[in-house]
Amino acid sequence: MPQPLSTREANLFRTVIRNYEDKQYKRGLKAAEQILKKNPKHGDTMSMKALIMNAQGKTDEAFALAKEALKIDMKSHICWHVYGILYRTNKNFDEAIKAYRFALKLEPESHQIQRDLAILQIQMRDYPGYVQSRFLMLKARPQLRQNWTALAIAYHLEGNLQQAENILTTYEKSITTAPLKTDFENSEAILYKNSIIAEQGDIERALEHLNTDAKNSLDRLAVMDLRAQYLSQLGRKPEAAKAYRALIERNSEHPAYYKGLTAALDIPNDDEAALKAVYDEYAQKWPRCDAAKRLPLDFLTGDEFRSAAKSYLTLMFEKGVPSTFANLKHLYADSFKRDTVPAVVEEYVKEQESGADDKEKVNGDRSKGKGSALYFLAQHYNYHLSRDLTKALEYVEKAAELDPKSVELQMTKARIFKHQGDTQKASEAMDQARLFDTRDRYINSKAGKYQLRNNENEKALATLGLFTRQETVGGPLADLTDMQCIWFLTEDGEAWQRRGNVGLALKRFHTIYNIFDIWQEDQFDFHSFSLRKGQIRAYVDMVRWEDQLREHPFYFRAALDAVRIYLSIFDKPQGANGVNGVNGDSANGEDAAEKKKAAKKAKKEAQKAEREAAEKAAKQDPNKATAVKKDAEDPKKKDDDPNGLKLAATSDPLGDAMRFLGPLLQFSPKNIDGQIAGFDVYIRRSKSSSLPCPPSHSVESSLSFL
Amino acid sequence: MDIRLLRSSDIPLIQHANLENLPENYFLKYYLYHALSWPQLSYVAVDVSRPPKTPYDYPKIVGYVLAKMEEEPTDGVQHGHITSLSVMRTHRRLGIAEKLMRQAQLAMVETFGAQYISLHVRVSNQAAIHLYRTTLGFQTEKTEAKYYADGEDAFCMKLDLGPIREQVQEARAAAEEEEKQLLGDGEKKENGAGADKEKTNGAGAAEGTAEELDEGEAVGEVGRDPAKSAAAAAAQADTKVKVKVGRGLGVGELVERVEVKHS
Ligand SMILES: CC(C)(COP(=O)(O)OP(=O)(O)OC[C@H]1O[C@@H](n2cnc3c(N)ncnc32)[C@H](O)[C@@H]1OP(=O)(O)O)[C@@H](O)C(=O)NCCC(=O)NCCS
Repeated sequence: MPQPLSTREANLFRTVIRNYEDKQYKRGLKAAEQILKKNPKHGDTMSMKALIMNAQGKTDEAFALAKEALKIDMKSHICWHVYGILYRTNKNFDEAIKAYRFALKLEPESHQIQRDLAILQIQMRDYPGYVQSRFLMLKARPQLRQNWTALAIAYHLEGNLQQAENILTTYEKSITTAPLKTDFENSEAILYKNSIIAEQGDIERALEHLNTDAKNSLDRLAVMDLRAQYLSQLGRKPEAAKAYRALIERNSEHPAYYKGLTAALDIPNDDEAALKAVYDEYAQKWPRCDAAKRLPLDFLTGDEFRSAAKSYLTLMFEKGVPSTFANLKHLYADSFKRDTVPAVVEEYVKEQESGADDKEKVNGDRSKGKGSALYFLAQHYNYHLSRDLTKALEYVEKAAELDPKSVELQMTKARIFKHQGDTQKASEAMDQARLFDTRDRYINSKAGKYQLRNNENEKALATLGLFTRQETVGGPLADLTDMQCIWFLTEDGEAWQRRGNVGLALKRFHTIYNIFDIWQEDQFDFHSFSLRKGQIRAYVDMVRWEDQLREHPFYFRAALDAVRIYLSIFDKPQGANGVNGVNGDSANGEDAAEKKKAAKKAKKEAQKAEREAAEKAAKQDPNKATAVKKDAEDPKKKDDDPNGLKLAATSDPLGDAMRFLGPLLQFSPKNIDGQIAGFDVYIRRSKSSSLPCPPSHSVESSLSFL
Repeated sequence: MDIRLLRSSDIPLIQHANLENLPENYFLKYYLYHALSWPQLSYVAVDVSRPPKTPYDYPKIVGYVLAKMEEEPTDGVQHGHITSLSVMRTHRRLGIAEKLMRQAQLAMVETFGAQYISLHVRVSNQAAIHLYRTTLGFQTEKTEAKYYADGEDAFCMKLDLGPIREQVQEARAAAEEEEKQLLGDGEKKENGAGADKEKTNGAGAAEGTAEELDEGEAVGEVGRDPAKSAAAAAAQADTKVKVKVGRGLGVGELVERVEVKHS
């Protein structure tokens, strides 16, 4: 049983809690000490002290103290609750759940413990547990709509759609007066219910519900969208057509709406003229609409395509739109279109040159159209389906005569060099493009990327540093890492890998791994936040996405890189990845020495860059640095392996590889590269006698599709 | 190009586009905060033309607008705010930014009853200024000195959403009219007439507003715009810092606090 305190101490105890809440840790500790002086064995106070110490970053001591408190006071729900919180803040959710459960047993009425438990359950996707918790919470406070919605969500995620719907309906029936039209929570709950009805496959009923209950929903687009979908699913075509027309009126750049409309109008897929008529109507109605003019190019064939392409291209060239090629290159999957488009563009260029199409155009305009067309051709010949790099270069030079300082042209030049395999020239050319517009971060990013492709890690960081926040302690690398800049970390890691610096390469891939952990944890706060906000459909969408988080190509690429490095470490263990974390080639002595030297140099350079960045950061206006650094008092642990030396010196490369490999096989099983990497790891693990056999079924089952 | 509503699964590539295009960057959680607070407001432009390389390709985001409602408007007027807008350079001048903005504006009015929309733009950003002022009709309210972290000034711009609101109302009236005709001159549905009715919270509305906060505090740091310069943040500090008073204390309360700290 919690020990009783005198009034004075009980007050002090409350102060401790308040101090903790207000992050006044020193004061909180002082107050706790005061209590403990008189009651040295007061479990609750010891727990609170542990909680504060944990917040100060003294995790180990905090755990030790919390344990001690528990020993003294096994029956205190506060001690158990704190113990759970410690686990939770240290990301050990399973243990946290256990502790909360104990706390709850001792204090079944505690709403807070119940809520904390529920949040962890949904975070860990313990659906039955979550259903139970939300059920109890609803029972305790049925007057809150949130609690009904939450239970419905729990059932829904568990897969019990019927029950989810029942819960929402039960609440609706308990409302005695109609909610305000502006009641957002209500509006959203109705649409949520509608989505559950539809998910059960009862489209008829979903439509009926939409037309009645959800009619006045504040989310107009959702209602219109769902209506169109339901109507077409039900084959009610004239109404569906009308619904799609309303949607096109609203957003004329969403191709699916046109598709829905033409399907509802029963236009056969090969009736090009009828299809085109639909688009033409909108193209005429809204001159600024792009989709209505462009989409017919997808289905038109032969001469119809040719003339439509010509008028579209002419229009874009005259406007001087530089992104025209990006907007059309998908047509190249069709070989006729791939041949026709450049022919049309060349024709246009000729007309411009001969002045055939002269309608009292000013010179400037003329060169604008011609320049755009030449640029288009340069991109055309640079594109992998229609590549002729010599021609591409010719066109880009020609276009550059008209506009020598064009970022776009210079950028294309760099891309051509890249395709020629000359990373050095590509890097220089892209940097030149950057200099044409030093205020645009896009071109800056590209310049940095091309430097990385050319293994110029230090230079790239300096380039990118022109746009990172100056006051970030640790310089551009820290800023890019803080900001979760995956593309940079991946490219930087791959460049280090090519340079033989296994340590830094692994470091970057581990950083990416950790960012995915953060992204997974990011959902935590929203389990309660979204209930308050009432945006339930968006929340469910988020939960489902988080379940597939590591399916993302961002993860796949970095994980595969890491696995491959670990495989190579395993294959060449003896000293090759020695102290400096640099992987030499031990098969060839001379070569190895050579590589080692290069790697040593690379490492020195990296250290120098890091040192310089640190110095630069130190020199910055100290006020600025502290004012912005939100976690200045956050006792972030210092990175004790900034260069990845420890990572590279691993004694268990296959074990380390497994960490990356697991999610890769789990979430992207159909990716052949992942399967091969998995095979490579498992076969080595099974050969290595000291290790237990791999779970062979997983290899077999994942390979079965091959 | 496909202009459509943002989904959670788009966020990594939206963040990517932001990092490529703009110096004001945010944690993924900040995007989630937008997506889960005002899911109707943010839009993306997707390049639908790339052939997928693997079964796990994600739609390539070439442009996005990240929009929100001002949670505690200092002027007491409901209004929206553009947190971030950008388009990949390879896809600029196609009208993407304009269309993204128009979708966001419409949804702000329809869903949240926004009266106007505000945003900041670098005084040197010609393209964006043209878009806002000339294409969309924004007006410059004032210049905010050193708004950006690198010391550049910002124009504060505003667009009155009155005209859009009128359009929305007209469309609604027309739809209702049409429906009435469809229904014949039978009795009016009760639903349409309920605008002034009192809100009741089901069985026990008496519990009061303290209970409405049941699920705890806001998502924490994430609610602040981390890209704003220190000066700008400080200037707003008065209005942003919320002090929690008079809530029952218990260890459970602490949990939310811990979350706040870690977000
Ligand atoms: C600003 C930005 C979003 C515009 O995107 P976009 O898709 O190219 O813009 P749109 O095609 O919709 O163009 C809208 C209008 O702006 C004009 N415009 C676009 N870029 C322009 C430029 N570089 N210079 C002058 N005008 C420009 C267009 O001509 C069009 O004008 P119109 O209505 O008179 O025909 C884009 O340039 C960008 O992402 N820049 C970097 C990030 C940024 O600055 N974001 C804004 C932060 S506040």
